[in-house]
Amino acid sequence: MPKLYTFLKYFFVILWACFVIAPFLWAISTSFKDFNSVTGGATYIPWLQFEPTLDGWSVLFKPGSQGGINIIGPYFNSIFVTLTASLISIVLGTLAAYALSRYTFKAGFVKNNDITFFFISQRIMPPVVLSIPFFLFLSTLGLLDSLAGLILVYIVLLMPIAVWIMVDFFNRVPKEIDETALIDGCNPFQAFFKVVLPNSVPGMLVAGLFCIIFGWIDFFFAFILTFTKVQLLPVKIVALNSSITPWWSLSAAALVSVAPLIIVAFIVERYLSKGNLSGALK
Amino acid sequence: MAKIVLDNIAHSYDPNASNPVFALKQMSLSWADGGRYALLGPSGCGKTTMLNIMSGLVTPSHGKVFFDQSEVTRMITEERNIAQVFQFPVIYGTMTVYENLAFPLKCRQFPEDQIDKKVKEVSEILNLHNFLDNRAKGLTADQKQLISLGRGLVREDVAAILMDEPLTVIDPDLKFRLRRKLKEINDKYKTTLIYVTHDQNEAMTFADNIIVMDQGEVVQAGSPKDLFERPQTTFVGYFIGSPAMNLYECSATSENQISIGSNSFKVHTNINNTDSKDLKLGIRSEYITVESKLSDNSLEADIIEVEDFGNYKLITASFDSVKIKAKVKRELDIPSEKVILKLPAEHCCIYEDNKLI
Repeated sequence: MPKLYTFLKYFFVILWACFVIAPFLWAISTSFKDFNSVTGGATYIPWLQFEPTLDGWSVLFKPGSQGGINIIGPYFNSIFVTLTASLISIVLGTLAAYALSRYTFKAGFVKNNDITFFFISQRIMPPVVLSIPFFLFLSTLGLLDSLAGLILVYIVLLMPIAVWIMVDFFNRVPKEIDETALIDGCNPFQAFFKVVLPNSVPGMLVAGLFCIIFGWIDFFFAFILTFTKVQLLPVKIVALNSSITPWWSLSAAALVSVAPLIIVAFIVERYLSKGNLSGALK
Repeated sequence: MAKIVLDNIAHSYDPNASNPVFALKQMSLSWADGGRYALLGPSGCGKTTMLNIMSGLVTPSHGKVFFDQSEVTRMITEERNIAQVFQFPVIYGTMTVYENLAFPLKCRQFPEDQIDKKVKEVSEILNLHNFLDNRAKGLTADQKQLISLGRGLVREDVAAILMDEPLTVIDPDLKFRLRRKLKEINDKYKTTLIYVTHDQNEAMTFADNIIVMDQGEVVQAGSPKDLFERPQTTFVGYFIGSPAMNLYECSATSENQISIGSNSFKVHTNINNTDSKDLKLGIRSEYITVESKLSDNSLEADIIEVEDFGNYKLITASFDSVKIKAKVKRELDIPSEKVILKLPAEHCCIYEDNKLI
């Protein structure tokens, strides 16, 4: 019985791994193909079945004058906007979440849970509903087509995620730890910064991971709120599309754009295990 | 160090409700400087609320708190200079054991050399000296609790050390040693210790004074001997002692005599003035003796079972369809079916409406 269980376990894990890895392998092999290799039926093995070429990759880095799209600028724009917005969201979100977890707020029928829900509800609305208000808002501030404008909008989009994750995290941190810090001689701010915050790093990393993912993959607002001065990676990649779909350079662009997320996920992965999240204090 | 006085304290967690529920009903209580107290009572009786009021984690909805002459009712926790240890270990997981123990002193800006000396001294007492450089997170539950305890002990000048069932997670042998250690610390530094527990043995062996609470009220405060011999309420009689006090509904037949069913007993309490319907006789199983023949204050009971606890035997018997428990020496020969039990008059407590007369 245990043998069968082990067999089935590995069978499904390997099956799942293949399912996850296959698109990557496909994209990698496609990124090294040219027009003929892509359209001439399925091929898998370089040099044997098709002649690999770097054309798909070079398009990404060539300037427009040479028929490329040069993603380097948008790439760093995306990194800058995502990291800045995520960082600010985590800082503000953590403070908000700590207050919501530890203090009682009451304004009429509105209580802590309602405020938390209000934060999360920002993500419930379809983005298209927010597009016009955001456009008008940034236009009034003169921040359309600017990194600062995008950061502002992304903070609005990412903070609910940070608050949501951190409220849950703090709720699982026994309040005795704050109380102990107060008894040991901290004021509430010291208790938060010296004791609670260092213990909350796992939660913040997880919240950070989600913020980075959601910030990095956004196309909609990057497309609507920027024009020529500032471009983010997803918008730039879409510019690759033409009457003949360039599968090779799209594949290369997909790999380049997913790489930072994979690196971040690997760094944060060990904190995702339940033990690290819930047992941080007791 | 200070005398702590709770003056007409009461607390409700929702005082503005139309019919507020009081976790702590109105009471006044004082804790002498350097005393060793146990706060005993079942779960949910208000013990922790009382501790939190003293430490400032909870501001009482009614009444005042004094440390010596100065009122501290609204003083914030960190200014009260009180130490509190919770039921479950609370450690600062990102710090080492040394840093954990030094934390309360660092927060209060003690000089480094004094911190070092005190941390080493306390770590020796608690057997933590070999782990000082270890991360606190990786230790066992009882070691973690020792750290919590240690953080309470590093400060000598605290007004009191409040302990909320601190030894729950610690194994019995270490528990015993720690209790003794706490007593030593109390003797040495004259620090007021207030120890919350629901374990009467822990309370009896630890404290000079025991405060028994039930449903948000202090039902009796006194020495272990007082609580054992003269429980002020049937609750205390039932709660303190193992087995619980034998309690029987009875009726007064004359000034110093009561009857339980067909049996009558002399008592040393004057019950002439009582007109209550709710009269009870209470007697500790330790004071009931086995006799060879019927005499005054004795009764014949049918034995239900005799349990041998090694150092004593516990007889469970019945008379007039009520059960009686007697704790007797294990060498005593006990008849197999019927036994004559004597209830000495001087140890019979009479309760009117569950309160001792």
